[in-house]
Amino acid sequence: MAEPLTREQDMLAAELALGLLEGEERTGALRLVLADPAFAAAVDAWRARLDPLCDDFAEATPPDLWPAIEARLAAQGNGDTVRQLRFWRWSAIGSGAVAASLAAAMLLLPGPDPVTVVREVVRAPDQVAVAQLGGEAGALLAANYDPGEGTLRIRAIDMPQSELAPELWVIPADGVPRSLGLVGASGTTRVAVPARLRALIIDGATLAITMEPVAGAPHAAPSSAPVAAGKISKI
Amino acid sequence: MAGDIPSQSDRERLTAALSRVAAGERAALREVHDLTAAKLFGVCLRISHDREAAEDILQDVYLKVWNRAGRFDAARASPITWLCAIARNTAIDWRRANGGPTLVSDDHAAEIADDRATAPERIEAMQERARIFHCLDSLELRQGGAIRSAFFDGLTYVQLAERMKVPLGTMKSWVRRGLLQLRECLGDG
Repeated sequence: MAEPLTREQDMLAAELALGLLEGEERTGALRLVLADPAFAAAVDAWRARLDPLCDDFAEATPPDLWPAIEARLAAQGNGDTVRQLRFWRWSAIGSGAVAASLAAAMLLLPGPDPVTVVREVVRAPDQVAVAQLGGEAGALLAANYDPGEGTLRIRAIDMPQSELAPELWVIPADGVPRSLGLVGASGTTRVAVPARLRALIIDGATLAITMEPVAGAPHAAPSSAPVAAGKISKI
Repeated sequence: MAGDIPSQSDRERLTAALSRVAAGERAALREVHDLTAAKLFGVCLRISHDREAAEDILQDVYLKVWNRAGRFDAARASPITWLCAIARNTAIDWRRANGGPTLVSDDHAAEIADDRATAPERIEAMQERARIFHCLDSLELRQGGAIRSAFFDGLTYVQLAERMKVPLGTMKSWVRRGLLQLRECLGDG
């Protein structure tokens, strides 16, 4: 279990949950959600306390948006396989059997090259680090690291539609996100990890994706909450 | 049960529909949409203060519901609360990303009072009603009012201070004291 939060940190969690923060304060709190599981849990606890207030929102009649929603659903495409995979992920998380399950997950991956990935896992079980990155909005990515080459392969399985671009971060034990640059919103991106950051791609470090403006990337710090995050496991 | 508290059967119907959404059934999402669009549009509209934006936000909300329905846990939250929270958070994200109107007209101040005034009318439904309402009503008026405005209108500290014409530091200390009392009243931490 992580250290209990100070009163100040718990207040910050409440303020973020309530939506009081803006600008740098909000960015800072969102960054803390990314870096500190205890803080993220406190934000969740405050949401659970406050959310029942929703009861008091008055209704308002919208135009019929269903056709638009249905069209966007259809555009999401190959949803079923991805949903199956997501089901697997949510149920497996926290089970402690994540590493063992990853090979199974990779077999399930839709798309052209799952076999390659699996073969690599089998061939070099002690050298390849992998992570699955998932998020609340349904974002799902698989990461595969080759320490010999210093190359991370990020495969975007399901990403929310956005005008912003996915930016990859590694968050080591110190909790400070370091940008690994922008990655593609679909397909596989090969990320050459800068030599100074390679030591951070280790078992237990977190990989996270936030949506960022293309301009100025790689950024010094994320500007929003991650759409996906996952821990690196060596297998 | 009178009033706008959803009946048990509505709740069960919505819970069942969400579990079918989680299994990938598109018709079930339509059912969730039909049952909840007016409520969730109300949330998006009140927080965004922008009808066109609220329509876009509402679409995003149902796409999120499609993707996240597997995470709904009927033991932890009522389905409508869970859906409203998604709508509210999506609308707040939109507002923070788009600036949103900084100045809020005076009649919104009246709305805060209204929220409080209407509460007793629902007292017969109190058992159905979450304890947070009781706790919020027990706060000092300006503390409770500020927390309500943050929740229902999506106002930030800066906007709250502007509206209530107090220094930012004063507003922060009101809200923080209110939040601490809320937590104590709810008795969970």
